[in-house]
Amino acid sequence: MAEYSCLIVEDSPMMRQLLVFALSRVKNLRVTEADDGVDGLRKLASARYDIIVTDINMPIMDGLKLVKRVRSDPMHKDTPIVIITTEGSQEDRQRALQLGANAYITKPIQAPQVIATVKELLKID
Amino acid sequence: MSHSGRSSSHSDSPPQDLKRERDELLQSLGRGTRLTEEFLAEVEELRRRMAVLENENARLRATIQADHAIRDLLDKIESLEVEKRELLSKFKQAEADSSVVSSRIHEMESEFANLANLFVASNQMHSSLSPRTVTRRIKEVLAQLVGAERYGIYLVSHDGAELVPIASEGLPAAELAPQPLASSVAREAFDSGAAQVDEERDPSTGTAQHPAAVIPLAIDDRTVGVIVIVSTLEQKRSFETIDFQLFKLLGQHAAAALVSASYYVQAGRQLPGLEAFLDLSV
Repeated sequence: MAEYSCLIVEDSPMMRQLLVFALSRVKNLRVTEADDGVDGLRKLASARYDIIVTDINMPIMDGLKLVKRVRSDPMHKDTPIVIITTEGSQEDRQRALQLGANAYITKPIQAPQVIATVKELLKID
Repeated sequence: MSHSGRSSSHSDSPPQDLKRERDELLQSLGRGTRLTEEFLAEVEELRRRMAVLENENARLRATIQADHAIRDLLDKIESLEVEKRELLSKFKQAEADSSVVSSRIHEMESEFANLANLFVASNQMHSSLSPRTVTRRIKEVLAQLVGAERYGIYLVSHDGAELVPIASEGLPAAELAPQPLASSVAREAFDSGAAQVDEERDPSTGTAQHPAAVIPLAIDDRTVGVIVIVSTLEQKRSFETIDFQLFKLLGQHAAAALVSASYYVQAGRQLPGLEAFLDLSV
């Protein structure tokens, strides 16, 4: 059975832990964590990931910049990206989708929704 | 000559009785011939009829055989119908069972997600002994897990008369002054030690005078503060079971985490000596 890898980019340890808990429910999905956009890019440069889940609001490098950088990276230009936003930040959400993000999840996050979105993008049951 | 002619005439002409016999014989023969012809015609007719009957018989036999085949087919159809009904019944049962299993799996996934939220909230609150970090994490629980938009965290003053804000989000400065406990909207929750939630109202429309929820913060059985959630995010239109579980967890753990962190800082970030644990006699 195919094994998938997921990179979670989130500055909040609590949100990161929640996302890891949620995605640990997806069979054959290996999860790697990154503290912010810069850490995320570093990890993307050293390995290939099948999906990226990133927060929008982060220090140092936010999710929008990360999406832009990922889409210009030959190795990950087609990798699905899920962004996590707040209900109020519709402009950020639209911008992220324009930059090439594939889906978004609104806070407060619900584990079943995270799982369903990732499974759908990876096309796994 | 005449004698001879007479005699010849006498001899050529049969006697009347013979003539009659001859005629009768000829008539009999004629009748026999007719009878024979009639008999032959009858035989022919009987043969023809027999052939017809044989054909009819063959046709009837074929029809009967076809009827048997049709009857067999009808029996087969009936048995297949029965089988189909049984299979449909089994399919419906399996579908119902599958639906129950799916529903149960959905419930379990939801329960797992709730437990994960509670574990993460508790883990985050207790994994630091920095009051600032603990406060930030309590705020994160409120914002990220509960979906609170405007809220304040208050501790009671030493004299027990006021609620003093130690952290807040989205509240105007006027609401961040110490509040007399006696006239506070949090009074009832503080005194009763039970969370006050107006479940009839949309929590996103809460106000300072009518907050969405008030959660008392306790250490053991002593209430030492409150969290006032004035309103939730727009998309959060009601509190779910997990929210009430989070209120309970916050009520039981937030104050303890804050007080522990404060004492640790006051103690110069020194861990207590072993002697502090030796007389616990557990």
